[in-house]
Amino acid sequence: MLITGIKSRPTYDELTPLSSGHRHVVAAQGSGGAPSLRLLSAMTPEQRALTTLIYSTESFDGDNHLAALTTESVAGLIPQSSNAAALETLREVLSTAKMGTRLYLAGSEGFIGTAMQVASSFGMDSDEVLREQAGSLVRRVWCAHCDTYTDNVTMRVFECPGCHLNLVVRDHYSSRLAAFQGVKADGEVPGELPDIDEELDT
Amino acid sequence: MSSTPTFKTHETYTPEGEFDYVNSRESVRRSPFPFPDDEYMYSMNLEPHVPTGDGALRAEFDIDEHYVSECRHRAQMLEDMPGVHYAALPHMLEAQWDLLEVIFEAYARDYPEHFTLTKNGNEWHWVNRLLQIDDTFTFGDPSTLPMDPMEYATRQAQGEFIVLEEKDNDLVIGAGMATERADYSLRFNLGMHFYEFHGPVPKLHEMGILDRALKFLLRMKPGHPVRRVNWSLTVNPRLETSVETLPDWAPDRATVTEENAGESVYLRIELQPLHRLPRSNAVVFPVRTYLISLAELVEHAPDWAKRMHRALASLDHELVDYKGFHRYHEHAVNWLAKYDDGAPLANGYPWLEGGIQPGE
Ligand code: HEM
Repeated sequence: MLITGIKSRPTYDELTPLSSGHRHVVAAQGSGGAPSLRLLSAMTPEQRALTTLIYSTESFDGDNHLAALTTESVAGLIPQSSNAAALETLREVLSTAKMGTRLYLAGSEGFIGTAMQVASSFGMDSDEVLREQAGSLVRRVWCAHCDTYTDNVTMRVFECPGCHLNLVVRDHYSSRLAAFQGVKADGEVPGELPDIDEELDT
Repeated sequence: MSSTPTFKTHETYTPEGEFDYVNSRESVRRSPFPFPDDEYMYSMNLEPHVPTGDGALRAEFDIDEHYVSECRHRAQMLEDMPGVHYAALPHMLEAQWDLLEVIFEAYARDYPEHFTLTKNGNEWHWVNRLLQIDDTFTFGDPSTLPMDPMEYATRQAQGEFIVLEEKDNDLVIGAGMATERADYSLRFNLGMHFYEFHGPVPKLHEMGILDRALKFLLRMKPGHPVRRVNWSLTVNPRLETSVETLPDWAPDRATVTEENAGESVYLRIELQPLHRLPRSNAVVFPVRTYLISLAELVEHAPDWAKRMHRALASLDHELVDYKGFHRYHEHAVNWLAKYDDGAPLANGYPWLEGGIQPGE
């Protein structure tokens, strides 16, 4: 079974204003505040006046850009203290969105992936969305054996909080589940863990 | 035409059922043996799916002596793990009806002694004598069936079925009945694109096979199916080897020895006849799986056993790792070596003119 070097991982963009947009929604989390600030400074004042910003201060590495974002003159800034609440807000905002809405996502891979699930549920597709990964390279992992999702996984091998098996995190990624695949690491001979006690740094 | 097989009704594919599974001589010799040469490598092995010979490639969807047992096994797997082996995205309903029609029409045409489909407008009458099913339903009206049309049809079909929708010149997995999948997860792969679900396979991308295969599939027209074969090895006659249940079956890989390899290692042949579906424009990727132990191969198809010895012995290490048998590769090769006298063998798939025959 292939663990690394699998080509199903999403590729990311750099956030730049999409001139085709009539309305702009930015959803960012933690370190994603920095690319959001960069995006806003690249926008015209007209574009900023059509921009709603949702920002979650939940962050694995403690990066918080809320103070800087508050000084920006946008149509609306909605801060949230958790990623789950930010996604709920995104759902509400998109539920009233019209054609021509452009979405910008920035933050951890897990945040971007779950926000993309929300966008897809409203039928938005990849040319209406830009995604920029920022901050630490933590992953969201789906356990193939007990169906548990674990956020902020940092190691190639970790213990699933659901079934307590040691899982190896494959580079295989499912956009629908917004997660990497975790599979029992010592599947063939229980106790014989693979020799890859590494940090997930790619 | 070959004789109708005697259907075995209570074979098992599980350790609980003690893997009570055997192939008749005919069942081995009719299988789509996947090694045309002494060396094996991935290739663009797609060809028109036209009736060929009197074995597994005669019918549009092949059934064999394991049909009844395999359908029973499927029902059991679906009951044991709901939501894991069958899944369909909501917008795939039209493709589901398409698939039901393609399977039922083919079965009724190719095996009239076992299946009958009578259409009166949209009122359809389906009789499956092998599973004692006699149902009427309205084509296109899901409320007239006890479950999704795809689940209904594929519970009565041998092999697994993945349905893909065409989207922006790509194929995206939209539904699947996969109680016999080899080492991947249906739920995880649902919604993935052609390059994404092939992501874990080594070499394919670099060899340019994926690009060409996708272009080829996008040009497929209804009524003109194409087929390919693939293979792997499985320890014990176990059909259900999904990623989800890996903790149950992967330990078997560590039990193979040079002495027991003949009985415990199975060649897993996959026949994949791809179809474009008529109304939905979806593509179906069926995988009919044939499990044959190395010992059965030696006994019933000695030339194929020699060929397999050579193909396994020379197999690229990346493929050995990917297919998951690095732990017992050598045992299987050494076991087969005893039955290979090194005589030259014909080249080409067995169903083609001049191709390798099973031997006597
Ligand atoms: C559209 C229909 C197809 C579907 C749904 C499909 C699906 C898959 C899946 C799920 C895998 C396993 C990947 C994993 O390890 O997670 C696989 C493997 C593979 N596929 Fe496909 N495939 C399709 C068509 C093709 C075609 C047309 C070709 C080549 C011409 C091809 C060549 C391969 C090869 C060579 C492997 C590796 C098999 C092995 O070594 O055992 N596939 N495919």
